[in-house]
Amino acid sequence: MFQVLPPEPPPQIAAPEIIIERSASTTQEVRVAAALTDARVDVDSGFRGASIVLYGAVFNPSDTPADVVVVVRGPDAPVRLVKKTRSMGVWLNSRPVLFEGAPGFYMTASTRPLSDIADFGQLRRLGVGVDHLRIDAPEEARTVTRYGVRDVVISRLGEDYLDWRRAVIRLKEAAALYDTDPKGVEFVDRGLFRAEVELPAVAPTGKYYAEVWLFQEGAPVSVSNLTLTVEKVGLERDIYEFAHRRPWSYGVLCVLLAAMTGYAASRVFRSR
Amino acid sequence: MDIYLPIAEVSVNWPLLVMLGALVGFVSGLFGIGGGFLMAPVLVFLGIPPTVAVASQASHVVASSTSGVIRYSGMKAVDYRIGGIMAVGGALGAFAGVELFRYLRLLGQADLVVALSYLLFLGSIGSMMLYESLTQILHRVRGETPPRKERRRPMWLYGLPFRMRFPRSGLYISAIPPFGLGVFAGILSAIMGVGGGFILVPAMLYVLRMKASVVVGTSLFQIIITTAITTVLQAGRNQTVDIVLSTILLLGGVVGAQYGARLSGRFRAEEMRAALGLIVLLVGIQMGLELFVRPGDLFLLAPGVAD
Repeated sequence: MFQVLPPEPPPQIAAPEIIIERSASTTQEVRVAAALTDARVDVDSGFRGASIVLYGAVFNPSDTPADVVVVVRGPDAPVRLVKKTRSMGVWLNSRPVLFEGAPGFYMTASTRPLSDIADFGQLRRLGVGVDHLRIDAPEEARTVTRYGVRDVVISRLGEDYLDWRRAVIRLKEAAALYDTDPKGVEFVDRGLFRAEVELPAVAPTGKYYAEVWLFQEGAPVSVSNLTLTVEKVGLERDIYEFAHRRPWSYGVLCVLLAAMTGYAASRVFRSR
Repeated sequence: MDIYLPIAEVSVNWPLLVMLGALVGFVSGLFGIGGGFLMAPVLVFLGIPPTVAVASQASHVVASSTSGVIRYSGMKAVDYRIGGIMAVGGALGAFAGVELFRYLRLLGQADLVVALSYLLFLGSIGSMMLYESLTQILHRVRGETPPRKERRRPMWLYGLPFRMRFPRSGLYISAIPPFGLGVFAGILSAIMGVGGGFILVPAMLYVLRMKASVVVGTSLFQIIITTAITTVLQAGRNQTVDIVLSTILLLGGVVGAQYGARLSGRFRAEEMRAALGLIVLLVGIQMGLELFVRPGDLFLLAPGVAD
């Protein structure tokens, strides 16, 4: 974890190249190393969300102060949205709008507000910050039909794109799935920092990617990549797999269980 | 005291759920309704996705109704014959309803249809029951003799073919009306996550004019069959049944249902109907308000990404 790994999901721009360029031009080696207290989060019956500590060190022999930005992304999933519109005094839903992929979880923690650390263009290129987060939308608006239902796939060029995009972020933030913490990275000692990753109980299961960026004078100088796995374990996993692999037998089992409980209860009460 | 629900993917306070199950079970046993129309709104309020709430509570309805039917059956208050015919209709209705629900969900219109059906059905039936029972109570309190009730059934009930004898209900009518009633309840069962008891009980009383003593038990019997089929279909088709959630709910539910059924004999029929009518009306209004109140956020995540 102490080397500069190529980011697992390529963060859409050639981030590593910048670092090489930068490292080559500076004589000192400025880099960041990080690790997670838990690389695996088990979701069992007691799961109420999890708090994971990310800690790391900054090697900075130069005098230029460095900023640390931690970005954690959860697995991508399509998002469907509807908008309520008023018609004849009644609030109705619009035709669904589909974003083909948005992270199921996204958080940033940094030493200072992101806008102070780097400029708009830089953050946009790296996809750092909820405002710059990449939500997949095709270049042109089109409609797809799934199971006989027509969805509008929103275009990145469309004028209402921003409204919809902001809505996705706002709704995810309300569910504690997206978060921005401008003071989330704290230095506990010179060069040693920690940040907390708060996973809510509704966090999706799957693979999470954490990027720890080091910024100097508004430019990224180093990155460290980590992965985190959130998975259901034990009974929860078995039930989930059963329900999805053999849905019909699962349904029959649910009914039998219910009917037997009802029967048992009436027996118990009759004998009294 | 929290427990993580594997299908709903949220964690909830389980003693609260047991209590909710017991309360709804009690109401269910008392009035002979599934009680689903009470539970779904509460579950959604607790943060459980509506689709999972609707599908999982169906199995709670199975449990509390089973427990209720066994009790009524002991009192010879279940007409299995008419109940069976209604159940066949209910099964067909459930098939159609689950497919319809799936389509509406993808369309993003499921919550609109759910809210509308709650407002329409619960609102109208609730006010009808309340009006009818209150007039009756008023007459009794004033010491007047109630106006002679129209005891005749609608004539069209006799004009239809396939007439059958239903001795326990005191009926000799065509099988088509109970069958149609079953189909209707089945569709509602899938869309609203309810057994349809609140529709069936008044329809059996006022339209079919069944003997009042067998109405509740028979309605519960029909509800078991319809909701059992709905549960299997929801699990198979939509994978939205959470067995942990339904088990917690039904633990409280079966106990509540027993006490409810025990208590139901102690009240006058019209008082019971007045109370049920009031509950039904309030829930209907509460759910329907959603249509007219400006939402907090104009945008809404729509479920059902087809994978």
